[in-house]
Amino acid sequence: MTDILITVLIVSSIAAGLALLLVIAERFIANYGQCKITINQERDITVQGGKPLLSALTEQKIFIPSACGGRGTCGVCKVTVREGGGLLLPTETPFLTKEEIDGNVRLSCQVKVRNDLAIEIPEELFNVREYTARCADIEDLTYDMKRFRFELTEPKAMDYIPGQYVQLLCPKYKGNSEEVYRAYSISSDPEDKGVIDLIIRRVPNGICTTWCFEHLKKGDAVRLNGPYGEFRLSKTEAPMVFVAGGSGMAPFVSILHFMQKTNNLREAVYFFGGNTIRDLCLAEQMKGFEKALPNFTFVPVVSRPEEGDGWEDETGLVTEAVKRRFKVLSGYEGYLCGSPGMIDAAAKVFTSLGMPEDKIYYDKFA
Amino acid sequence: MKMSPQDKKLDEMLRSSALVAGGFMGDDQRSVFEVIEADAATLRERGVNAAMLAQRMRELTETAKQGLGTWVDADGGAMRVMSEEYKGILVCPWGHTGHFDKRIIIAERPATGQTLSWTDLNVHLIEAHGFFEGKGSAFRVEPEQAVRILIE
Repeated sequence: MTDILITVLIVSSIAAGLALLLVIAERFIANYGQCKITINQERDITVQGGKPLLSALTEQKIFIPSACGGRGTCGVCKVTVREGGGLLLPTETPFLTKEEIDGNVRLSCQVKVRNDLAIEIPEELFNVREYTARCADIEDLTYDMKRFRFELTEPKAMDYIPGQYVQLLCPKYKGNSEEVYRAYSISSDPEDKGVIDLIIRRVPNGICTTWCFEHLKKGDAVRLNGPYGEFRLSKTEAPMVFVAGGSGMAPFVSILHFMQKTNNLREAVYFFGGNTIRDLCLAEQMKGFEKALPNFTFVPVVSRPEEGDGWEDETGLVTEAVKRRFKVLSGYEGYLCGSPGMIDAAAKVFTSLGMPEDKIYYDKFA
Repeated sequence: MKMSPQDKKLDEMLRSSALVAGGFMGDDQRSVFEVIEADAATLRERGVNAAMLAQRMRELTETAKQGLGTWVDADGGAMRVMSEEYKGILVCPWGHTGHFDKRIIIAERPATGQTLSWTDLNVHLIEAHGFFEGKGSAFRVEPEQAVRILIE
């Protein structure tokens, strides 16, 4: 018995000693000191070395999009590291294409700041801020889509371009032990800078959508950051075709608000596809935009109307409805938001009707 | 069976909500390797393997995608399939290359009303790892049911 106790004591002491050694080693040997990060060859920041690049940038209020909060599971936090990033890690390669690897693209959550670095990030990220907000309203749009209205509390206003998105922080909740960020397009009127509306469709077993639909209540405080994204109207006067399905409606609502407020007279035909009538939403709001914008037409398309629905408008696939309405689309611009499948199919239709590929703009769900 | 540190890390990842709400193991108390072996045995009894089943699921997925959310006939009408797509991506808990669209395929045999659902990630997990997810997991594919509906 005494022998056992002595053995336990010795092993515990060794373990404690090793732990102490590790703490000391981390403090002195793994202390990388101050490191300089040069961003886009023009802006220098100084950070304490030793932490992931993603966190180091976040502490400096430079927000790189991330869906997993830096756990290395989403592959979203890509930045170009021109110098100082060290070797590419096996935890990064699953998320990078060969072209990205050749172009020095890295996952910022996996790159540790151990020395000076030179990185490149999109300029728009300098406008990204972290916000606290209050859930002001939750509106049912369909059986699986809701519109969430968030009033910004700090800062109180967000400047964004219609078409951009924010990242909403989903907290831990019963059944979910991880905080995650999820990206949602802003659907509110950009003139109302203190409000962010998000149209969210429930994803079966989705981490964030489950929280939104089952736990988030009016009055709750939330965190989000943004704005992000390059999806937006061009600055031309070319006529446009919009195509969306489901929550792909979101950026177009913001864009239409913007067009109305700026008296934008560009021709725009918006095809919104749903499988059944119950998948359609915001029909009344779209009618309002049609009244306010003389050259805007909303075309809802139901792919499988049911007996007794009384549906008399467009049916079938949304791409078929585009082909019925347009014989030629050269001179038009295309704007697409939705699933990769829908976007690929719609883009194919556009180009077959003469629309140049570089005039097709999209916000793919994936 | 004793698990290596890597195996333990994998098991923790599969049970956590890091990638999907509720994880991949449901309320299954077996280890991931026990789940894989048991499901492989079920397939062997039916004379198929995971690769064959995954290939069949992949073919039906491609057929379903053409419908853009509407039903598409397969197998000359003996089956119909539909694809529902959602915003976001999924990654493999084993940490493999690439990501997977959030797509749910529903396959139905109109004659019997039997249905089976799966995601792109399910197909990868079955094909690359023989993993059908744990019992009680929202997206577990029951091997016997899958064989009955998709292959027999």
